[in-house]
Order: sequence, then structure tokens, then C-alpha cells
Amino acid sequence: MSIMQYNGSAVVAMTGKNCVAIAADKRLGQRALTVDMGFDKVFPMTNRLYVGLAGLATDVKTLHDRFRMHVNLYKHREERTIAPKTFAHMVSHMLYERRFGPYFVEPVIAGLDDNQQPFICNMDLIGCPNFPNDFVVCGTADENLFGMCESLWEPDLGPEELFETISQALLNAVDRDAMSGWGAIVHILTPDGVITRELKGRMD
Amino acid sequence: MDAQFAIAGKDFAISVADKKVTRSIVTMKHDKDKTYNLTPHTFISVAGEPGDTDNFSEYIQANIRLYSIRNSQDLTPSETANFIRGELANALRSRRPYQVNTLVTGYDKTTGKASLYWIDYLSAMAKVPYAAHGYCSYFVYSTMDREYSPDISLEKGLDIVRKCMASLKQRFLVDFSDYVIKVTDKQGIREIPMSEL
Amino acid sequence: MAPLLEPNAGFKFDNAKRNQLLSDKGYMVPTATKTGTTIVGLIYKDGVVLGADTRATNGSIVADKNCRKIHYLAPNMYCCGAGTAADTDFTTSMISSQLALHSLNTGRDARVVTAMTMLKQYLFRYQGHIGAALVLGGYDVMGPHLFTIYPHGSTDKLPYVTMGSGSLAAMSVFESSWRPELSREEAVEMVKDAIEAGIFNDLGSGSNVDVCIITKDNVEYIRGYSQPNERVPKEQSYRFAPGTTEFIATAPAATANDAAAMDVS
Repeated sequence: MSIMQYNGSAVVAMTGKNCVAIAADKRLGQRALTVDMGFDKVFPMTNRLYVGLAGLATDVKTLHDRFRMHVNLYKHREERTIAPKTFAHMVSHMLYERRFGPYFVEPVIAGLDDNQQPFICNMDLIGCPNFPNDFVVCGTADENLFGMCESLWEPDLGPEELFETISQALLNAVDRDAMSGWGAIVHILTPDGVITRELKGRMD
Repeated sequence: MDAQFAIAGKDFAISVADKKVTRSIVTMKHDKDKTYNLTPHTFISVAGEPGDTDNFSEYIQANIRLYSIRNSQDLTPSETANFIRGELANALRSRRPYQVNTLVTGYDKTTGKASLYWIDYLSAMAKVPYAAHGYCSYFVYSTMDREYSPDISLEKGLDIVRKCMASLKQRFLVDFSDYVIKVTDKQGIREIPMSEL
Repeated sequence: MAPLLEPNAGFKFDNAKRNQLLSDKGYMVPTATKTGTTIVGLIYKDGVVLGADTRATNGSIVADKNCRKIHYLAPNMYCCGAGTAADTDFTTSMISSQLALHSLNTGRDARVVTAMTMLKQYLFRYQGHIGAALVLGGYDVMGPHLFTIYPHGSTDKLPYVTMGSGSLAAMSVFESSWRPELSREEAVEMVKDAIEAGIFNDLGSGSNVDVCIITKDNVEYIRGYSQPNERVPKEQSYRFAPGTTEFIATAPAATANDAAAMDVS
């Protein structure tokens, strides 16, 4: 088994029309044993930018702490909040810095830029960024998520339509993955604010 | 082969740790207290590699107490847990890593809420209502899943502890028989002797 | 206690010990995104044409269907990358910065051999651990140049080159068709054919053809020059009616304001 499968996770982000969504499951396990059904994997960085971290739980925590530190330092130094694209490059560099001793985490970044246009991005564990215009996935259920997103996603979904699409993509993907699931959380980022919902999911 | 588990209610938390020290097939000690009080309201229980657990816990205990003295203020349970996680994560990267599983149990005087943090030897941390480490988790999690609800009383909490011990006694290969049971709430930390459970 | 912000230069190895421990425990170390790639380059009458497919893979999963493998190095130089995706990205962008400084210091455009030397010395220093296989093309005062650079630091200078997992398929096109003094149209078509040979005959390569034509004083970078694998529009929609997904709780429209970023829970 790979170390990326030790704790179990599923994270997905999708673009919509002037909105973007990011969602993750809530399980924390130790291989087959479920330890926590309320483990956060998606974290706010600014009010227009969320980051999801799939992989080894210890590194999820460590990186969240380090991202938060750097985002706050950036804010103090530059007197403005960090843009999603800037943040993505920061994350990419932080991961590639450890090219030969990586954090076992694949990040997903979702945000709205200065023009309220959706921005999504994901990376491998050494920070190779990927900027598609439809969706990004990672975690133990990534193959399932690819299949779900590839068939469910369509362009220009509004916030509520996007919520349904991303929720169904995630729920149905984790239902076919033993290592992830046990509830899910969805954040929809819109110019008017963030909608956060906890999904009702299977608990088996 | 340690057994440790804990339960957090609204304003109290109970932590249970066995007292055995084993090496290979031999029991070296029957009366080892594996809990460490950090502040008047927060304590940890540790399991894992015998030398590492003592060394790490004493280091944590000394530093948390030093903080309290320097600042005339105790760290909250969440601050304590994050500090422990940070230290363990750093130790994991620098020298020979500690093999220590920790449960942080605490009561926050300012908010009046009790909390429990589960930290494994890789420094993965989760704030949970109930937790266990090691082989004993395969036995007690099912009991706690069934019996726990967020608004349980201390008496109900102790009842769950009794049930967990009973299932360990009946089904687990190792006979623990004796445990340290500690409770923290607004009065602070106190130990409940096995005889009074 | 470690300093909060350690100096930021070069690679960090602080996770290496821990990761060794984990791999000793039998946990497989995960793999990075690779570009199982077809990249090519050829010299023609007036310059250099570079070509690349646009598939990035992670194991057998297509991680990106339209990624960019022809990287900018300098105004007169571009570089195709195959191998570990992060390595090709970061290596080319770092050398690009060094070339920019070099041009600023010397006051003239950098030469292609300069870029080639910097790349090979960098890759040789890391003894092949930086998995970047490159096709470097450019036009400088000495005319058009084309190089391949291997992860261990060796280089070739040839009139037509291919690299990546689709290199054999692409080379078969060049070997049968290339001749000196090709016209621009012939050259671009041949590059397209070579990349398409990779796209269709190598599993690691796929999607579209990017080309980059570098001539004296001009660069033409065409993303999606050929798109032989366009996705058929979906015939039906899988939109869900509002209210399909049951949710337990809605957090108060958390504008995740700056307080949230500073939250220390």
C-alpha cells in the first residue's frame, strides 16, 4: 500500500459561471480503521481562496499550518490578500523545494480572482501544477472522481447547479472507495460570499 | 500492546490507560502510570515505544509547565495539542523519530468545554469525541460508537469505560486488569481508583 | 526550536529521514506526475521547429489532457520537456531566469549553447535524480540550433531529434521523411506528423499537437496546432434538480473573512 492511501481522502474542485466549488470527504483513518468522521481537508486561506489537501494526514496538518503562516506574512508584507494564482505558485514552490523528501500531499486550490473569475489548480506531491478549466481531483478516490466529473461536469453552471454537480460527483465517487467518505463538506465560492454545506453521506 | 482510550463529554473528559510495561513476551511492570499532567486541567496519556513515551512526555510536560510559569497562564487544550503535534512532527524529521501515540485530554476554563485530541506517531491530529490507540481500538471503538452521544453525563461516560474494559477483558488476548482512570472537568484533574469505578 | 523562516535556497531534505522510515515500514513511496511524452524538434531552411503532445500522466491516469510542454527559456529559445513534469517545469523556469539575468548583464541575447551548457551542468550536478529530458531549440547569432539534453547531463546536437516515450514512433517519421533545407510548411507538417505518430502509437502521449517555430527575430508558438482528439459534445445533460443532494448543515454564509485565515483553533 502506498503512504498516500494510509489515511484516506477525496478532494475535488470545479469551476462554474462566476463561481467555483471545492469539496472533500471527512474521513480520517489508519488504513482500514476509521478514527474520525469530522476531519477537515479543505481550509480557507482568504475569503476568496480555499485549499484542499489530500494525502497523509500529518502532512495535511503541517502544510495547512505553513500555508496559513505564509499567507498571513504575505498579507502583512504586501498589505493585500494573496491572489489564487500567486498562492498556487507559492504552494508549488513549497512542494518542489522538497523534491527529494516530499510532503505526501496533493493539493487542490480553488478561488475567485480579482475579476471574480473561477480559478482551480491541482498539483502532484512535488508541486507540478495543472490549471485546467473544468475540474481537478485528488485523493484515494481520484480515479472514481475523474469518472464522475468527466460525465457530470458541464460549463457555465450557476452556484446551486454547481453544488448539485460537485456533491453528486463526490458522494458517488466515495461510495465506490473504501478509504474515503463518512460525510462530506462543500464550499461554493461566489462573488457574494461562500456557501458551506455539510452533506449527508453514507456512513459505511 | 498498550491499551488507552478516552471520551470527551460537554464539560468533562475521561481518559483510561493500562499500567503494563511489556518487552517481547515479558511483562516488566504492572503499575506504570502512562498519564502526564501538563496543566491543572490538561493531561496526556501516551502509548508506544517505552523509552520514547517517557522521554517525549517528560519533555512536553516540562515545556508546558515552563510556559505556564513564564506567562502566568496555562495553555488551552487546543494550544497544548497543537504544541505537542508540532514537536512530534519536528522530531520525526530531525533525529530518530519518537514512536509515541498520544491522547490529549483537557478542560478549557474560559469556554467551559472539555476536549480530546487524538495524535498518532506520525503526528496526524484530530479533535474527536472519543478515541483509542493501538490494538485496543479494534475492541473499544465499537462500544463507544454505540454508547456515545454528545450530551452524556460523567456517570454515563464512566459506564462506557466499564463496558469498554469488559469487552477488553472478555475478548482481548492480553489481560490488562488494572488501569489509570483520570477525569478532567472544572474542578481539575482527578484520578478515579479502579475500586471506585 | 527551528527558526520560523529558514533561508530559502535550494532543495530541502528535512523530510527525507522520515520518508525513509515510512518506506522501510513497507509503505510504497508515491510517484510524481510524469509526462509520458512525445517531443520533437527539427532544423529547416529558416530556423527550428519544436513540437510536443499535451498529455500528462500519473501512472495510467491521464492527469492533464492539455498541458503545456514547450517551455519558454528566452525570447529566442524554447525548450520541450519530457520526464517528471515538475522537474521539466522548474528546471526550465529556473534556467530561464538565469538566462534573463545573463542577457541583462551582457546586453545581448543569450546563445543557445549557453542555455544548453547551463542545463547540462545543472542536470549533471544532480546525477539524473532530476528527471528532465529536454529538447532545446533556438536561433541566435550563430544561426539555428537544436539539442537534446538527457537527465544525466549528456547532450546531442542533431538536425532532427525526438524524445520521450513516443520518441521511437516520432523518429520513424523523421527517418523516413527528413531532408536538409525543408520549407517552413513542410517542416511544420513533418513535426505535426511526428507528434501524431506518438499520440496515436504511444500510450503515454496523447491529445493535441503544440508547435513552436523559431526563426531569426521571430517566434510563433501555436497551442493546439492540430487537435485530432476533440471531445464529442455530450448528447445528454446530467444536471440534477435543485434539492437532489441532502445536506445536514449550512454554515452561516462564512465569508471566510480574514479572521478565518488567522483562526488558530
